[in-house]
Amino acid sequence: MKQPLVLVLAAVVLLPLVVRHAIATEIWIFAIFGLGLNLLLGYTGLLSFGQATFFGSAAYVAGYLLKYYGIGIFTALGVGIGVGALSALVVGYLCVQRAGLYFIMLTFALNQLFYFIAYQWTSVTGGEDGMPGIPRPALLGIDFRQPLAYYVLVSALFLLSLWAMQRIVESPLGKILQAIRENEVRAEALGYNVPRFKLLAFVIGGAFSGFAGVLYAMLFGIVPLEAIGFVFSGNVVFATLIGGSGSLYGPIIGSLVFIWLSESVSVLWARWPLLLGVAFVIVVLFFRGGVVEAWSRIWRFSKRAS
Amino acid sequence: MNLLFGQILNGIATGMLYALMGLGLALITGILNIPNFAHGALFAVGAYLLVTVVGAIGNFWLGLLVAPLGVALLGIAIEYAGIRRLYAAGHDYQLLFTFGLALILNELIIVIWGPVGISHLPPAVLRGGVDLGFTFYPKYRLFVMAVAGLLVVLTWLFLERTRYGAIMRAGIENKEMVSLLGIDIHRLFTVAFALGAYLAGIAGALTAPIRGLSPGMGVDMLGIAFVVVALGGLGNLLGAIAAGLLIGVAQAVVAAYWTEASTAVIFAVMAAVLLVRPQGLFGIR
Repeated sequence: MKQPLVLVLAAVVLLPLVVRHAIATEIWIFAIFGLGLNLLLGYTGLLSFGQATFFGSAAYVAGYLLKYYGIGIFTALGVGIGVGALSALVVGYLCVQRAGLYFIMLTFALNQLFYFIAYQWTSVTGGEDGMPGIPRPALLGIDFRQPLAYYVLVSALFLLSLWAMQRIVESPLGKILQAIRENEVRAEALGYNVPRFKLLAFVIGGAFSGFAGVLYAMLFGIVPLEAIGFVFSGNVVFATLIGGSGSLYGPIIGSLVFIWLSESVSVLWARWPLLLGVAFVIVVLFFRGGVVEAWSRIWRFSKRAS
Repeated sequence: MNLLFGQILNGIATGMLYALMGLGLALITGILNIPNFAHGALFAVGAYLLVTVVGAIGNFWLGLLVAPLGVALLGIAIEYAGIRRLYAAGHDYQLLFTFGLALILNELIIVIWGPVGISHLPPAVLRGGVDLGFTFYPKYRLFVMAVAGLLVVLTWLFLERTRYGAIMRAGIENKEMVSLLGIDIHRLFTVAFALGAYLAGIAGALTAPIRGLSPGMGVDMLGIAFVVVALGGLGNLLGAIAAGLLIGVAQAVVAAYWTEASTAVIFAVMAAVLLVRPQGLFGIR
C-alpha cells in the first residue's frame, strides 16, 4: 500500500480519539467536497467559485425528501449525487464556454442565483433560518444517530470517494483533463472536444459536492442557508489550496487543517471571518504552495541546519 | 401603468449605479487581469465612509467628495501592498487574496459600525419629490441618475479622449506592448485600480440614501458587478452601461409584480442572455 494512503487510514482511525465526533465527521465530509473541487481546480485547471451551488442544492432536495418522505440513507445519497450532477450540468453549460476570469465570475454569479432562490423560497428552504429537522435514518438495524456510528459510515464513504477519485484521475479521462490544464489549445488540436470534457469534469465535481452536501445535512440535522452561500464556495477553495491543489491528497490535508481550525476558533470569537480573511492574505502573500510545500520547506531547512 | 413607469425610472437610477460598479470592475479586471472579489467591499466602504463623514461634519456634498477619494486611496494601498506581488501568481491565489480582503473589510465594517443596518437621509435640498406628470418622483433618485450619468460620461471622455486613457485601453489589449513602449505599467495598474475603486466608492456613497446601509450590501453588489461585466465585456464601456441598465430595469419591473424574485431575476437575466449569446451582449470572444 502506498504511504499517503496509510497516513489517511491512520488519520481516519485516530481522529475520533482526538476531536469531537461531529468535527471528525465534518472533516471527512469537507474532504469529499474538496476532492470534487480539486478535479476541477487541480486536474482541469478550472477555478470554480461556485461549488456551494451543488453542495447546497443537493442538501436541500435530499433533506426535503428525508424530512417529509422518509427516504433511506442510500436513496438520499443517490438523490444528492443526482442533484449535484444535474445542477453542475446546468451551471457548467453556461460557464465552460468562457475562460479565465469570466469563468470564475460566472460560477460566482450563478452561485448567487441559487443562493437568492434558497433565501426567498422560505416555504421550502426556511430561508435564513435554514431547513431543520433532517433525520438520520437507521440502516440494517444500525442507529446512525449514534455519533460514532455515523462517523464510521462517513469515513467509509470518504475512503470510497477517495478510491473513486483516484480511479477517475488515473483513467484516460483524467489524463485528458490534465492535458486540458496543461495546454488547452493542444488538447483541442489533438481532437478532444475541450468544452465537453470541461463540462464532464464539472458534472463529476458536482456529484461529489452533492454527495458531501447530503452527508452534511444529515450530520447537523439541518441545511443552513450558508450551505449554498458563496463563503462555503470560498472555504472549499481555500482548504484545497492550503492543502495543495497539485495532489490527490491536498484537499484532504486542507480540510483537516481548515475544519479543525475553524471549528476551534469560531466558537471562541464571533468575528472569526476576520481572522479567516487575515489568514487568506498571509497565506497568499507568504506561503503560496500550501501546507505541503511549507512543510517540505521547513523540513529542508531543518535538514540543512543539522 | 404609472407604477410601471415609476419602476422603470427606478430601474434606470439603480441601473446607472450598477453600470458604475461594472465599469470600475471591468477596468480592474481588464487591465490588471485579476478577479477582484473585494469590489463589493469597496462599494460598502464608500457608503459607510459617506455616512461617517456626513455625521462628523454635517455636509453631504463634502461627504460625497471625500468618501470615494478615501476608497480610491484604500485601493492604491491594496494594489501597492498586495496585488502588485501577485501578478505572477495564478488566479487562484489572486482570488483568495481579494476574497480575504473582502472578508476583512466586511468584518471591520461590523466591528466599527455594528451588524445592524443604518438608514441615511438624503440632504435637505434633495428630499421630497418632483411631479413628472405621470408620476411623483423622488428628487434624490433623479440626482443619482444625473451624477452617475455624468461620471459615466467623464470616464468615457477620459478613456477615449485623453492620452492616459488611450494608454489604459492599450493596456487592456496588450500589456507587453504597452510596457515595451516605455510606459510605466506598474503605475498604470495602480491608476486603474484606484479609478475602479473610486467608481465603486462613489456608487456606494450614492446608494446610501436610497437603500440604507448594511454589512451585507457589499456582497450583494459584488454579484451584480460580476453580472454586468459578464454581460458587457471587459473594458467595454458601452457594454457595461447597457448591461447595468438592462438588469437595473429588469429588477425594478419584476419587483413591482413579484418582490421576492427581484434579486434572483438579475442572475436569471444573465443566465438567459448567456444561453443565447455565450460571449455576452457585446463580447467578441
